[in-house]
Amino acid sequence: MKNNQLSSYTLDANRYSLTIGWLYPDLMNTYGDRGNIITLIKRCQWRGIKVEVKRLNPGFNHKQLTICNMLVMGGAQDIQQEIVGEDLKKKNKILKQMINDGTPGLFVCGGFQFLGKYYKEADGTIVNGLGIFDLYTENPGENHPRLIGNIAIKFNIDILRASDSESRSSFSTSSNSKNVIIGFENHGGRTYLGKNIKPFGKVLKGFGNNGKDGFEGAVYKNSFGTYLHGPILPKNPELADHLIKLSLIRKYKEFTLDPLDDTIEKKAKDTILNRLKIQNSPNSS
Amino acid sequence: MINVISIILGKAIAYLSNVLNIGSGSTWPGHIALKLNPNFIKGILKNSKTKIIVIAGTNGKTTTGRLITSIIRESGKTYLQNKAGANLINGLASALVKGVELTGPLNKDYLIFESDESALPEVLEQTNPDYLICLNLFRDQLDRYGEVNTIAKNWQEAFEKLNSKTTLILNSDDPQVSFLSKKTNATILFFGLDETNGENNLKHGADSIYCPHCLHMLDFTQVHFSHLGTWSCSNCSLKRPKPELSNLIYYPLPGTYNKYNSLAAALFAKAENISFKKVIRAYKSFTPAFGRQEKIKYRGKFAHLFLSKNPTSFNESLETIKKLHGKNLLIILNDRIPDGLDVSWIWDINFEGILDKSFNIMVSGERCYDMGLRLKYAEIFTHIEPNLENAIDVTVEGLEKKEELFILPNYSAMLDARKILTGKKIL
Repeated sequence: MKNNQLSSYTLDANRYSLTIGWLYPDLMNTYGDRGNIITLIKRCQWRGIKVEVKRLNPGFNHKQLTICNMLVMGGAQDIQQEIVGEDLKKKNKILKQMINDGTPGLFVCGGFQFLGKYYKEADGTIVNGLGIFDLYTENPGENHPRLIGNIAIKFNIDILRASDSESRSSFSTSSNSKNVIIGFENHGGRTYLGKNIKPFGKVLKGFGNNGKDGFEGAVYKNSFGTYLHGPILPKNPELADHLIKLSLIRKYKEFTLDPLDDTIEKKAKDTILNRLKIQNSPNSS
Repeated sequence: MINVISIILGKAIAYLSNVLNIGSGSTWPGHIALKLNPNFIKGILKNSKTKIIVIAGTNGKTTTGRLITSIIRESGKTYLQNKAGANLINGLASALVKGVELTGPLNKDYLIFESDESALPEVLEQTNPDYLICLNLFRDQLDRYGEVNTIAKNWQEAFEKLNSKTTLILNSDDPQVSFLSKKTNATILFFGLDETNGENNLKHGADSIYCPHCLHMLDFTQVHFSHLGTWSCSNCSLKRPKPELSNLIYYPLPGTYNKYNSLAAALFAKAENISFKKVIRAYKSFTPAFGRQEKIKYRGKFAHLFLSKNPTSFNESLETIKKLHGKNLLIILNDRIPDGLDVSWIWDINFEGILDKSFNIMVSGERCYDMGLRLKYAEIFTHIEPNLENAIDVTVEGLEKKEELFILPNYSAMLDARKILTGKKIL
């Protein structure tokens, strides 16, 4: 198994570059979330696309956001989230504008919850969110178990088709096994979607947003919110490529990603699909 | 009387499970004893003169426990200890069932109990120990234990109930652990590490980097690994307390993390007025606990087992193996219940910063493709073999004459590997 992808990119690709804004890497990285960043970096580099990652820690200048082509934010413990919540308030306006303009983004767990209207803690305290996603999250209290375990969801292609034309990329055109996304969820909060937002996928096995309505995550414009750790991108490279492609298309209008050898990615994913007894058939759509 | 019945029954179960080789003999007897009498532990300990030592922390409990027993043996005293891995309340009860006479109190000088992080409050409530050693708190099995802050909060509440009978031995270099000294009436002793390695930058995966008192970002003038080091808060002026013990002339095991374990055990000895000479003598004849830098001969070659079960322990294993000039690694990743079902943590391992292309690496275990993927993205070439027996045989056969194999397994993987290497089961 060799990473011979390094040699496969065309010289032409060298003129392409992306800037990824990593929101609060020192705080929001509890569950191996930096694996998402590593995956994005490598999958760009292996294709000769230059990548720069901006580490945006509390107190960062909001102007740094505007040069980012993609945003990524992970999850954290409660204390860390309080610190981040304070800082985010100051960047609310610009973040909202970027997400509304279609800047691609991945927001996992705590990052996902922050985008909603509010988060009600176990003791009833209400923490205001950024209100960019039409959703809210409530922790039903310490007597209710956290939602923990391996999870598989079916990604709804129609969501992307409906969201905007740019999004009709790798998901809809590629063939086999691109519709099932796997990960590991571990959250106390239950998230409920409003009318103005679509779920990221339908739960095949696991809990999802609240363990009741069968939905997982949320998609708004080009931003994806999800409870899936694992981390999500390494074992779902099609989602990583989708985010990269969306970012490149926004920046360069047109772009085709060279395929990479995803044999190990697929085997790692199959390990979980087998555990969950889900057949990952090419015709599952 | 009820305790006599519990003990007889428990001993019978322990005997049977041993004879029938059905495993779990290290928790069943205690489970039954506690069912018969919820106050079984308190009852046994009430009238005994045995000194109780409880050891807690994410990493290093087993090694520290073993260092302490080696010191106790050297000083000619007797002890009772829970079986490795049986570190919940029923494991403690089981140790008592096996170690106690049918009538009368516990007849040993010391009882050493290695406690699971989540079981610690109940263990303290049941035992009211003479010594409580807290080594460190790192992210570990978040799906099972919850987050570091949650554990620290539960410990803090339990420590508030301790009185001055208990000597609390704390790591001064772990901000959150040292802060546990603030709201307790227990007697406090600190151990820490006073040496410089020129490193004052925190690496990825450090957990407690914010002031446990005021949440301001901490300053570090020295970082040993993860968030352990010489720290201070510029906002509320909380800082690393000065440790009572911070260096030893001899350390029995390689690795910075083992220096901490050695210091913790030596500080206990100091508090017990056991001479420094005896400590060093004990350390010089020390042999590691199973799976913790244990060396096993297999097919004419040596295999070292470095239990690596969370990002910090994995990073420190890699650093130590590198210092020992190990080049051949077998990484085994499982996701059974004792390991944690979530393997996300492998992305917090600093492979990129520690390893280079000169290492020969094989990965195996139930989640071998996850580990293979992690290494692929670190751009480190790896072989992947899901079958553990094959993986061990292939790597051992590939060793040059004087080369040794370094195995980095997580918990259940360590038991599996050990079974293959020694040809027998341990638990």
